Amino acid sequence: MTDYIDVDVRPILRAGGEPFSVIMAALDRLEPGQGVRLYATFKPIPLFAVMADRGFVHSAQALDAGEWEVLFTPATTKQTASPSGTAVFDDWPEPAVTLDNRDLDPPEPMVRILAAAEKLRPGETLSALLRREPVFLFPQLEKRGFRWLGGFSPDGATYELTVRAPS
Amino acid sequence: MIGASISRWTMSYFATALAWLFVALALMVAGFGYPATHLASPDTLVLVHVVCIGWLSVAMCGALFQFVPVLVAKPLFSEKWALPALSLLTAGLAALLVGFLGLGGRLPAWLWLLPIGAVLLIAGFGLVVVDLGLTAWLRPVGPARFVLAGLASLCATAAFGAIFAFADAGWAGSIGQSVLTTGVPLHAIAGLGGWLTLTAMGVSYRLLSMFMLSPDVDERKSNMTLAAGALAIGVAVVGGVVAIWFVSGLNVVLSITAVLGLATTALYGRDVIGIFSGRKRRQLELNTRMAALSFASLAGTALVGVVLVLTGAFAAYLGAFAFLAIFGWLSGLVLAKLYKIVAFLTWLETYGPVMGRAPTPRVQDLVSEARASKWFVIYYAAVWFGTLMLMASQPSAFRAAVAMMTVGLIGIVREVIRTRRLADVASPVRLPDGACAPHLLFARN
Repeated sequence: MTDYIDVDVRPILRAGGEPFSVIMAALDRLEPGQGVRLYATFKPIPLFAVMADRGFVHSAQALDAGEWEVLFTPATTKQTASPSGTAVFDDWPEPAVTLDNRDLDPPEPMVRILAAAEKLRPGETLSALLRREPVFLFPQLEKRGFRWLGGFSPDGATYELTVRAPS
Repeated sequence: MIGASISRWTMSYFATALAWLFVALALMVAGFGYPATHLASPDTLVLVHVVCIGWLSVAMCGALFQFVPVLVAKPLFSEKWALPALSLLTAGLAALLVGFLGLGGRLPAWLWLLPIGAVLLIAGFGLVVVDLGLTAWLRPVGPARFVLAGLASLCATAAFGAIFAFADAGWAGSIGQSVLTTGVPLHAIAGLGGWLTLTAMGVSYRLLSMFMLSPDVDERKSNMTLAAGALAIGVAVVGGVVAIWFVSGLNVVLSITAVLGLATTALYGRDVIGIFSGRKRRQLELNTRMAALSFASLAGTALVGVVLVLTGAFAAYLGAFAFLAIFGWLSGLVLAKLYKIVAFLTWLETYGPVMGRAPTPRVQDLVSEARASKWFVIYYAAVWFGTLMLMASQPSAFRAAVAMMTVGLIGIVREVIRTRRLADVASPVRLPDGACAPHLLFARN
C-alpha cells in the first residue's frame, strides 16, 4: 500500500494565496514510493499534468462544498505523453467526450477512441478508460496531430487516457 | 516515438518459417531421418535443425520483433537489423544443413561448412538478441523477463552448437570433442526448454490475457514460474559444463533439470488456468481454443516424460517425447498465435490510417474461423496420432500422420494468405478511400 503525506492547501487558497510552492516543497520531502493526499477548494486540473511529468498518477474525488481530495500516487509504470512537451497540457479543457472502453474486446477500444477523436472540435479533449496501454493507438494519434496524456491508475487496473484534438 | 508500430519484416519471418516447416514435413513424409535412422544420425540432425531453427526460431524471432516493442511500449532498438538477421539465419541454416548432409555421406564431406554455418547463425541470432535484448531491457517486467531469459538461453544454445560444429570439422581440439560427445542434451535443453519454451510462455501470458480480457497474471506467480524455468536451464547449462569438465557424466544434472522442468510446467499450468478462469470473455476465439490444445500437448509431454522416466524407458522413446513437445506444444502454439497475429497486423496496417474517418471491418471480418478450425483440428489430431505411432514403432503410419499434418498446415497457410489478401472482407468496406491493400510478405509501416 502507498503511504500518503497530507497536504491541505484549502486555507492558502481561501486566503487568496498561491499553493504551488507548498505542494512542490511537500514533493521534495517524500520518501521513495510515498504519495501525496491533496485537499483543495477546486479540482486542480493544471496540476495533474505537472504531477504526471514527475511520475505521479492522480485520482480525484469530490468532497462537499465543491472541495476536492486528490491522491497523487507514484506511478508503477512511468506515465507517458505525446512527445511535444508537457507545458502545453496546462490549458487542456475538461473532456468533451468520456469513454469507458475497459470491457471491450481488443482492438475495439482503439477503434472507438479514433472514431470519437475524429469528431472532436479543434482543441477539445476526450478521456477514455482502458485495461491496457494502447500502444498501437499512439502512432495513429501522432500521425493525425493529436496530443495525448495517459497513465495507469494507482491499482494498475485502469489506464486513463486524455486525447486532445489539434487546435 | 512512443508506442509500437507495425514491424516491417514480421510477415517475411513468418513466410520463411512456414516454408522451412513444409521442408521438414516433406522430409518426414519421405522417411528421411528419425525414425528411419537413429536420433543422432546426420539425417535426423538435418530434420531437427530445419524444424528448430528454420521453423520455430525464425517464427519466434518474427513474432518477437513485433511483440517486444508492444510489451515495453517503446520502438524496437533497430528496425534495420531485422532483415539482415533473417538473411544471416537463412544462409547459416543452409550451410549447416549441407554440412550435415556431408557428414552423413549424402553430399561431399565439406565439413568446413558446419563452422561457417555456425558463425552465420551466431551473427544472425546475435543481431536478434542484441536488438530485442536492448528493447526488452527498457521495461523488464512480466513477460519481457521471460523473453530476456529466452534470449540468454538462445546464446547458450548457439554457443554449444558452435562448439559442436567446430568439433565436427575437427577444429575444436580435444575439449571440443568431449563437449560434442556428451553435451548434445544440454544443447537441446537450452534450445527447446530455454529459448523456445520460456519465450513462448512469456508471450502467451500477455496474448492470452489480452484476447480473453483477463487480468495479467500476478507478477509474483509468473516470476516464480520464470525462476523455476531459468533455474532448470541454468542448472543444465552450468552444471552440464562442470560435469563435462570433470568427466562425471550428466545423470545428476539432467535429473535435477527434469524435476525443475516439471515444476516449471506445473507452475505455468497453474498460471494459464488462472488466466482462463479469470477471463471476462466467455466466447473464445479460435486462436485461444487452439492454444488450449497446445497446452494440452505440453501437459501430455510432461506426463509422457514422467511415465517414461519412472519405467526406465525414456531413452527408447525420446523421439516420441521430443516430437510431441516440438509439434504439439511449440508448433501448435506458434501456429495458433500466428493465425491471430497475421489477422491483427493486416487489419492494423490496412485500416489503421483510415479508422474513424471511414467505415472499416472488424479484425474478425478478415478471417473465417469456422473454415480454419477444421485445419487446426486435423493438424493436432495428426500430431497426437504421429506421437502414438512413434511409440508403437510404426514408421509407415507415422509418415501417414505427418502427411495429415501437412494437409492441416496447407489449410492453415491458405487461410493466413486469404487473411493477408483481405479475401474474406466484403467489398464495400474492403478498401475504403485512403486504405492500401497490404503486401503478402512485408508491411508498409
